[in-house]
Amino acid sequence: MKTMKLNKLSNLAILAGIMILAAACGGNVERDARRTEREARVDILGAGATFPAPLITAMADEYRTKTNNRITVNYQSIGSGGGIRQFIEQTIMFGMSEAYLSDEVLADIERSTGGTAFNLPITLADVVPTYNIPGIGKGLVFDGQLLVDIYMGRITRWNDPKIAALNPGTDLPALPITVVHRSDGSGTTFVWTSYLTRISDEWGNRVGYGTSVNWPVGLGGNGNEGVAGAIINSPGAIGYNSLSYALLNNMAYGSVVNSSGNTIEPSYEATTQAANIELPDDTRVLFTNTPAPDGYPIAGFAWMLVYENLDRNNAINNREHAQELVEFLVWSITEGQELSETLGFARLPGAAVEKNFDMISRIRWKDEMIGQKTLEERDLI
Amino acid sequence: MKTLRQRNIRDYIMVSLLILSTVLVLTPLLIIIGYVVVNGIGAISMDFFTQELGSPARAMQGQPTGLIHTIIGTLVVDTIGVIIAIPIGVGAGIMLSEYPEHKLNPLLRVLNDTLNGMPAILKGLLAFALIVRPMGTFSGLAGGIALAFVMIPIIARATESALMTIPWSIREAGLAIGLPRWRVVLSTIVPAARIGLVTGFLIAFARAAGEAAPLMFTSFGNNYLPTHWTGMILGPVDTLPQRLYSLAISPYSEWHTMGWAAGIVLLVFVVALFAGAQLLTRKKAYNT
Repeated sequence: MKTMKLNKLSNLAILAGIMILAAACGGNVERDARRTEREARVDILGAGATFPAPLITAMADEYRTKTNNRITVNYQSIGSGGGIRQFIEQTIMFGMSEAYLSDEVLADIERSTGGTAFNLPITLADVVPTYNIPGIGKGLVFDGQLLVDIYMGRITRWNDPKIAALNPGTDLPALPITVVHRSDGSGTTFVWTSYLTRISDEWGNRVGYGTSVNWPVGLGGNGNEGVAGAIINSPGAIGYNSLSYALLNNMAYGSVVNSSGNTIEPSYEATTQAANIELPDDTRVLFTNTPAPDGYPIAGFAWMLVYENLDRNNAINNREHAQELVEFLVWSITEGQELSETLGFARLPGAAVEKNFDMISRIRWKDEMIGQKTLEERDLI
Repeated sequence: MKTLRQRNIRDYIMVSLLILSTVLVLTPLLIIIGYVVVNGIGAISMDFFTQELGSPARAMQGQPTGLIHTIIGTLVVDTIGVIIAIPIGVGAGIMLSEYPEHKLNPLLRVLNDTLNGMPAILKGLLAFALIVRPMGTFSGLAGGIALAFVMIPIIARATESALMTIPWSIREAGLAIGLPRWRVVLSTIVPAARIGLVTGFLIAFARAAGEAAPLMFTSFGNNYLPTHWTGMILGPVDTLPQRLYSLAISPYSEWHTMGWAAGIVLLVFVVALFAGAQLLTRKKAYNT
């Protein structure tokens, strides 16, 4: 009796199986279409600077929607130092950094890949002095020499006459100054120290600039969050963070007197103004202490890093992936820029976009000029 | 001569002290669980288990965002780790327990203990050099191998002690009916010790499931599900401990809450594993 029931059941199962199979065969065309669509999907992997991550990941979201889930751009923020490192190791398709690739790195890349690597400006990075003085909100005025003196350890109290001279009417306490800086390799440090170097030869000779330097004084914090944590927890502390970070975390930040003598409150417009200068062809330029009269003086580019010979980057497997990477690069410096303001980023100036087109047009896959082709197809050059 | 009353009082005091110390041991655990749940419960929703993370703008503008890709990624990477670690770890454990006279054993024991004590980030670095660089990309496979490095010494030790508990007479019985030594181990000793072995696997698994450091430069992280299922193994994938870290250090309060919620999921995952291990050992107590 029991076996009978079982037999009936299994017969039914077989019947159902046949029906499903038949239905599946009927929908073959549709299924094939779905399969080709799935196969056309591409993952693009990038990593690097933390500061532009909100912008680039929002671009990734937008681009994914725009391409009907065909292209997924996975961007992980591991810091500018890490981005450059992994770019050189060829484990990522593009890097991102607030420091451009140095001459030595470019020479190494030239040797190993037979071509150069491009620094494509994608957005602008602004670094603001952040501080924690009980009773004093944002807007304290600094100038370059004052910041050099503080970071050299020469000005040690907040009621120092040099600070008071720039801030008449502010009741500064006799609190000791605690200097905070980044302990990791950071593009924010690169922008900050390049500003101090341009202000003071002494700083340039003794400390210099880079993603990490030998600080004369102060304590280190890991990442924007480490610096912010140290400042929030110690009254009298001063440090530096990217503007969007300071805004998001309600940190007090100062205004800075620029080279034209104007006191500039950090803003995205003032940052875009700062980049309004003559750019070299490879865009490897610092515009800290900008000559632009309304420009905020502690700002720089954030660059996307890509190889000229994409086929020589281990992380890119085939031409199709290379093509999709180029398409995304082009989109991110054109339509993608629309996302900037809503997310609190400064828009790329026109001159930088032009230079980007020139560089992208030189990107190759083996002998094929895929960058040039993509730009022509989109009528951009 | 003490009275019964005095003895009872002394007994009562000792029991109270024991209860107190148990409570003290449990308090940090309960505080952690309570704190994580209170902070993270707000982010637990249907979206949390069905959506991908995407950009921080999504969380800030209230668009759907979640960690489905992270939860799946964790299962995949941990499973790869277990599949690699179990044969190697069990093999080493058998060697240590069943062939105590072998010349290589003292060395093996030292190496195993060294591997166990080595910082997990070094294991990640090793997997980076061995897998990520030659492959040209970060991958779930590399993450699984890094976690296997974490699990192998634990499994080897657990296997060794589990096999040691089996009476020597069982081995002699096997040898007496003419079985070769390896057959005795595989057919009688290992099945007899299986509960101890499985417990060891679960402990190793739970330990590895909480590691973030070895995954940073191996499975790397992903804000989405890979577009092809092979991408789970051959491409970068997200894992709970590592995503928890990156959510926690981000500047967005919405992501902080999501980080706590990721903590809840990870905690439930690990507690479930340990509860499973506990259940198995208890069964063992009934059986013997």
